[in-house]
Amino acid sequence: MNKYVLKSNRLSKKYHNNMALNKVNVSIKKGSIYGFIGQNGAGKSTLIRVVCGLAYPTTGTIELFGKNSEQELIEARKRIGTIIEGPALYPNMTAFENLEAHRLLKGIPGKECIEKNLTLVGLQNTGKKKAKNFSLGMKQRLGLAIALLGDPEFLILDEPINGLDPMGVVEIRELLKKLNQEYGITILISSHILSELHLLATHYGIIHEGELLEQLSATELNEKCQQYLHIKVDNPDKAATVIERRFTTQNFEVMPDGSIKLFAFVDVPGEISKVLTNEGLVIEQFMPMGEDLETYYTHLIGGVKRG
Amino acid sequence: MDNLLKSEWYKLRKDRSFWVLILFLLAFAVLYPLTLQSGEGVNGNDYYRGYILSINNEIVRLLPAILAGFFIASEYSMGTMKSIASSGNSRIRIYFAKLTVFSIGSIIILLILPIFMMGASAIYKGFNAMPEWTFYLQSIGLIAIYAAAFASIMALFSTLLTDSGKAIGFLLLFFSLIGGLLEYLSAKVAFLEPFITNSIFMSFETIITIDQIGHWNSDDVFTFVVVPLLTFLVFGFLGSFIFRKQEIK
Repeated sequence: MNKYVLKSNRLSKKYHNNMALNKVNVSIKKGSIYGFIGQNGAGKSTLIRVVCGLAYPTTGTIELFGKNSEQELIEARKRIGTIIEGPALYPNMTAFENLEAHRLLKGIPGKECIEKNLTLVGLQNTGKKKAKNFSLGMKQRLGLAIALLGDPEFLILDEPINGLDPMGVVEIRELLKKLNQEYGITILISSHILSELHLLATHYGIIHEGELLEQLSATELNEKCQQYLHIKVDNPDKAATVIERRFTTQNFEVMPDGSIKLFAFVDVPGEISKVLTNEGLVIEQFMPMGEDLETYYTHLIGGVKRG
Repeated sequence: MDNLLKSEWYKLRKDRSFWVLILFLLAFAVLYPLTLQSGEGVNGNDYYRGYILSINNEIVRLLPAILAGFFIASEYSMGTMKSIASSGNSRIRIYFAKLTVFSIGSIIILLILPIFMMGASAIYKGFNAMPEWTFYLQSIGLIAIYAAAFASIMALFSTLLTDSGKAIGFLLLFFSLIGGLLEYLSAKVAFLEPFITNSIFMSFETIITIDQIGHWNSDDVFTFVVVPLLTFLVFGFLGSFIFRKQEIK
């Protein structure tokens, strides 16, 4: 049984002189929600387009459900549902007709799935209203209903919450969680709204200028984003001994530059500074620090730029 | 392939430009014979040739261009080509399904005048306006074959241009000018002359005047049947090859 739904092996895509993807090794585990993060032009859509068979790699390979030959990949794509760079709709058709055209395309027997999916995304009462008259949020939801036709095992969603109102965002988030948890659907979701991704994703991939900088699980990210007290004193060794003795904790790190990252007692910084001062230590820097996904991402790509 | 054909057929049935063209041609087919003063006492074949086929010939290469723009090229601008191409069907099948249904749409459009205008004329002017059945059926068959051949060329350019406006503009211009351009070329470059004369762009003009099928020789069969079918296949495979290599944005 293949553990991964998608794997890419040194995948590169070059457009003229622009390296849109540079030896990218993505791996998406079955059952995960993979948040794909990157700026505009970072390579997110290019990777998604290659996976969906809309663009061809310059070098490297992809593996979908463990299949990697051209013919096998075409077959494997029957098991995925997609929204790529916005929902693909026929503007002069109703929601029902849009789903019917895609149902026929995918060869799904019976029309029951249409009502089921419309209800799932809350568009069951749109009647004869044409898709061109839908709000952006309704179009996104219709796109999702289309992507869900045929009960895909893998959903690829490029910016699926763009244009949704706050309630719509919550509804789609809950729906995606439900699809993942109850139906075991693996989801690749790219979004600029990192706070939203943080509430949803179980794994992350961070791409920048065509290179995959990091892949990590939500647990790993939380560890990296942990809150801590940044302490810099004149005598770090003594400070470490004091913290260990007075607060009976070893949950800190002495960094190469002599600063200390104290992960415990973050909520009582005044007490820590008081004890250190009483022990005769001179405090040079003392501040609570920590990262969320957004700051972690910014630091990561900022570091790359400096490098 | 079956699901692709069903999906394309469904979309054709829902295509607004297709129905606008049909309604426009139906209205024309019903109303235009009323304005014709002549036709009384004219031989049925001549009436059919002079008042119906000659008009149909003018539109045969133009109206399907509008359908090509909306039915094929607009799939790119709407983004729906992305979901079709990633649906788990091979590009070649996708292309031929699209081409097949587009060809059927073109055939339907191009048979409206010969069928409905002829029917209306027969009602208005009496059944002596009807052409001989063999000639009538022969012309219907030839129009269908030529419509498919022209559709194959239009599908290729629509796939290349990927924008409905550009595709319609280009195709209207191309099919308006290609006849004159080929005539000029055949006059200037002698060795091209037989190719150009037998091409669908030139031979289509003569299906108005050709003899009944009983009088055809093998050259006629080649020019009026084999060449259009070959054109359909050659441009179909060329188009599918381009579509297979195309990156869809």
